[in-house]
Amino acid sequence: MSLLEVSNLRRDFGGLTAVHDLTFSVEPGEIVGLIGPNGAGKTTTFAMLSGFITPTSGEILFKGTSINKLKPHQVCLLGLTRTFQIVQPFPDMTVLENVMIGAYTHHPNTVDAKKKAMEVLERINLAHKAEEQGKILTLPELKRLEIGKALATEPSLLLLDEVAAGLKDVEMEEILELVRQLNREGITFLIVEHLMKVIMNLSHRVIVLDFGQMIGQGTPAEISKNPAVLAAYLGKED
Amino acid sequence: MKIQIKKSTILIGLLLIVGFILPRFAGEYYIHISVLVLFYAYMAVSWNILGGYAGQHSLGHALFMGIGAYTSTYLFTVIGLTPWIGMWLGGAFAGVIGGFVGYLCFRYGVKGPYFALVTIALAEAAVYIVTNIPSIGGAQGLEVAWTGNAPQLMQFDGKSGYYYMILVMTIIAVWLSSWLIKRRFGYQLLSIRENEDAAEALGVNTLRLKIQATVISAVMTALGGTFFAQYFTYINPRAVFGEGPSVQILLFAIIGGIGTVWGPVVGALVLIPIAELSRGWLGGTFAGAQILLYGTVLVLTMLFMPNGILGLYHKFLGKFQNRQSDGGKSEAL
Ligand SMILES: Nc1ncnc2c1ncn2[C@@H]1O[C@H](COP(=O)(O)OP(=O)(O)O)[C@@H](O)[C@H]1O
Ligand SMILES: [Mg+2]
Repeated sequence: MSLLEVSNLRRDFGGLTAVHDLTFSVEPGEIVGLIGPNGAGKTTTFAMLSGFITPTSGEILFKGTSINKLKPHQVCLLGLTRTFQIVQPFPDMTVLENVMIGAYTHHPNTVDAKKKAMEVLERINLAHKAEEQGKILTLPELKRLEIGKALATEPSLLLLDEVAAGLKDVEMEEILELVRQLNREGITFLIVEHLMKVIMNLSHRVIVLDFGQMIGQGTPAEISKNPAVLAAYLGKED
Repeated sequence: MKIQIKKSTILIGLLLIVGFILPRFAGEYYIHISVLVLFYAYMAVSWNILGGYAGQHSLGHALFMGIGAYTSTYLFTVIGLTPWIGMWLGGAFAGVIGGFVGYLCFRYGVKGPYFALVTIALAEAAVYIVTNIPSIGGAQGLEVAWTGNAPQLMQFDGKSGYYYMILVMTIIAVWLSSWLIKRRFGYQLLSIRENEDAAEALGVNTLRLKIQATVISAVMTALGGTFFAQYFTYINPRAVFGEGPSVQILLFAIIGGIGTVWGPVVGALVLIPIAELSRGWLGGTFAGAQILLYGTVLVLTMLFMPNGILGLYHKFLGKFQNRQSDGGKSEAL
């Protein structure tokens, strides 16, 4: 059984169809990249998968359960957690408390949640900032915190939205390595990324969107040779 | 392991001792001021759970105060039910109304200034509704008939009885508030205040939590309403449902330090005595001088210390101690 099965997913905003008849699946253990030019519908797809907006039509099955109508917190509880393209910390809470909010999902007791959150902070290399306020972190730290909060919910599928955007090469490599490691430990990833370099480097499989439709999928090598993709996407990017 | 007594523990201990022995030394007038301090501290702590922790700024909390005051007083006046029971019925009533209001607002995404407006409107509606029901006193209000020193009817000879009652209520409220904020429920409320979408994405049932916070806050506020009625022995629609109490309740929380355990207490502790004493000095009319004072203090607070008195205190403390981390929440005190 696929971990995630999306069939004929569609979302309209007024007259605009942001996502149109999208069908794909994600297998356990994969890192799947979702790419496409700006406005292709990637963030909208994420918002539907994570319960923030309801699909106009179509079906999303996660671990065999339909999650179309679920709220984000319910989706999260099932093991599907997202991060945000624009980082969303809790600014007046400490870094530890930020991560604890995620950890509370499966550890209602504060002592346990704190312990889990500390483990996560070690993983994302932010343990030394545990007592700092969320608002004083730098962008690379915030990007890692964004992953850390989500990680603390112990997801089986993690959706990362442009998690490397705005980072320098070294910082980016650190995050990519983290993703690879977590993937080896069993977490499945669906990642949206603008930077081809990141996607090609990380993904086992790539899905290409354009104008809300899937115009191709395959291994990074296949994708980089697919004429439709090249025309629609690669030509527009650097 | 080293046994460590925190400075805050000592401070709280001292406060408690002073609190309990105060009536032995203070005259009636000072006990009265202390009752006011404790009453508004209690109300601000209650408001703070919804307004400070969850960040949902109710500007119409008098709605719940009025429900508490009217329920217990009406039941006492009409069927002679002791306010000790009426108080809880009022609390339950306010809890149901709070849950209903919370559900309607939060289910349909009413938040921020819109939530504030809805709560003002509801409290104001309550003023008009109660004013137009003659059987519960109409515009005249209700009087709590004096039955002599009758603790079983929540009536005490002199002010000390009331003082001890509101002291215990405030202690319980502060304790509850500090207990809540140290556990999942409290942290999740904070996360809603800080970033609702992020909270929801991390598994926080934001709708349920906001409704729960509203209910808890409403029940506590209504219990305070009963105390108010018993202490002043007279209520009318504007005095308990009006904008006056609504604003006062949140004023002390904002000035003391919104979203903190002790901020609401500090706010009342600092402001009430100033307001009361200045009333004597200025010799002005009750409403005029006080509103002017509160307005000025509020504006100054917003401008110069957005985190309230406690925020300012921590800022200075931070300068001296170079912000050594205490391993706990900076909000804790
Ligand atoms: N809330 C919304 N209301 C109206 N239009 C939207 C909304 N969200 C996204 N869109 C539109 O849907 C399309 C897809 O957007 P998005 O999913 O953000 O693309 P991507 O993340 O691939 O850049 C864009 O044309 C965008 O303007
Ligand atoms: Mg996007």
